[in-house]
Amino acid sequence: MFLVCIPLSVTAADVATASSVQLKVKPVLCIIDRRTPSCDMDFLIAWQSPVLGYYCLHNPFVAVPLRCWSEADAGQHEERRIVEKGFMFWMTAEGSDEPVAAVEVEVMTSDTPDRRRKRRTRHVWDIL
Amino acid sequence: MLRQFTRAIVLLLAPLVLDAEETTVLSAPENANLGVIDAAASNWRIGMALGYGVRTNPLIQSADIPIIVDLDIAWFGERFFFDNGDLGLTVADNEWLTFSAMTRFNSDRVFFGRTDTRFVRLNAGTANQIDVQVTVPDRDYALELGAEILSDGDWGQLQLAAFGDVSATHGGYEVSASYSYGMRQQRWYLEPSIGASYRSGKLNNYYWGVLPEESNPALPAYEAGAGINVEFRLMGSYQLTSNWTLSVVAEVERMNDAAAASPIVADDYVTGFFAGFGYRF
Repeated sequence: MFLVCIPLSVTAADVATASSVQLKVKPVLCIIDRRTPSCDMDFLIAWQSPVLGYYCLHNPFVAVPLRCWSEADAGQHEERRIVEKGFMFWMTAEGSDEPVAAVEVEVMTSDTPDRRRKRRTRHVWDIL
Repeated sequence: MLRQFTRAIVLLLAPLVLDAEETTVLSAPENANLGVIDAAASNWRIGMALGYGVRTNPLIQSADIPIIVDLDIAWFGERFFFDNGDLGLTVADNEWLTFSAMTRFNSDRVFFGRTDTRFVRLNAGTANQIDVQVTVPDRDYALELGAEILSDGDWGQLQLAAFGDVSATHGGYEVSASYSYGMRQQRWYLEPSIGASYRSGKLNNYYWGVLPEESNPALPAYEAGAGINVEFRLMGSYQLTSNWTLSVVAEVERMNDAAAASPIVADDYVTGFFAGFGYRF
């Protein structure tokens, strides 16, 4: 038999950081061009932790958390947002502002002012 | 063979496709506000597509050209650029058009590298029966110098080019025009295009003619005149991640009548297709 002692000062953040909270976001890629300069995205955000605790979901657009869960080890959140630039969703655990998980939403432009990058070569071996 | 290859590709890339929408990045969001990824920010454009495709070979006694890997290596400076074998010097670039002086290799030679020799029996069963060796004549790459005009807008993209031989290989020239219109719906992209190219008699005759000294009773001499090739192309892609793309392309080119009538040409059309995963570095 093993006796496991956990100091009372250990917070959910300490445990969560060590045990890797999983955060998943769909979708994570937006492609813009001059005809469509932004993406209207419906995000489905899901997180899971092996440790019960107090967790909050953040993005950089509001100073307060998007949503918090108490005594939870999993959660889901849906958010609709017009996206023009990349940003991150991240989770924090009780007692700390340090992120315990983060997911990047990427925004890519398919436009280039350099027309030469869109030219086609006419070689037998090139097809794309 | 094709089925095994396709299965290997699918097994190799399945995790990538399945995870494409749920990438987890475990890092502190010190810069939670990110910018826009612009692949054109670098002078280099380096990519590779791996998949399966074929370009048919219009020559007699020839094998089609398999396309397993399509490399994309290009560098774009303010004036000079290199684009997959083409070398350019941009002399004008404004809101209407981009004009460049260009050099390139004419790649029709590739078709001639995949032919074989056969023997044809003439007058079989008669006293004059003879076996004649039929070999598709060899042709060289030609170094060509020319000019190219690019223009684009909401109406689509236009590419005009004229190239002439400077390597004393065929001594002819080609003038081409192509138009494409790209349509994007988020990650989906569809681009139909149409093009035509006028090939001078000298160019056509070098590649698709048969010289008297190359002829024999089974392969008559043939002189090809000038003509116009027409091509259609449809390309579709799905952006899996910022680096990975799934692409499918199909194209067909109708050879000009003068070339199509050559005794070394078996098919009037050159078709091509490719489906595969592309990675851009």
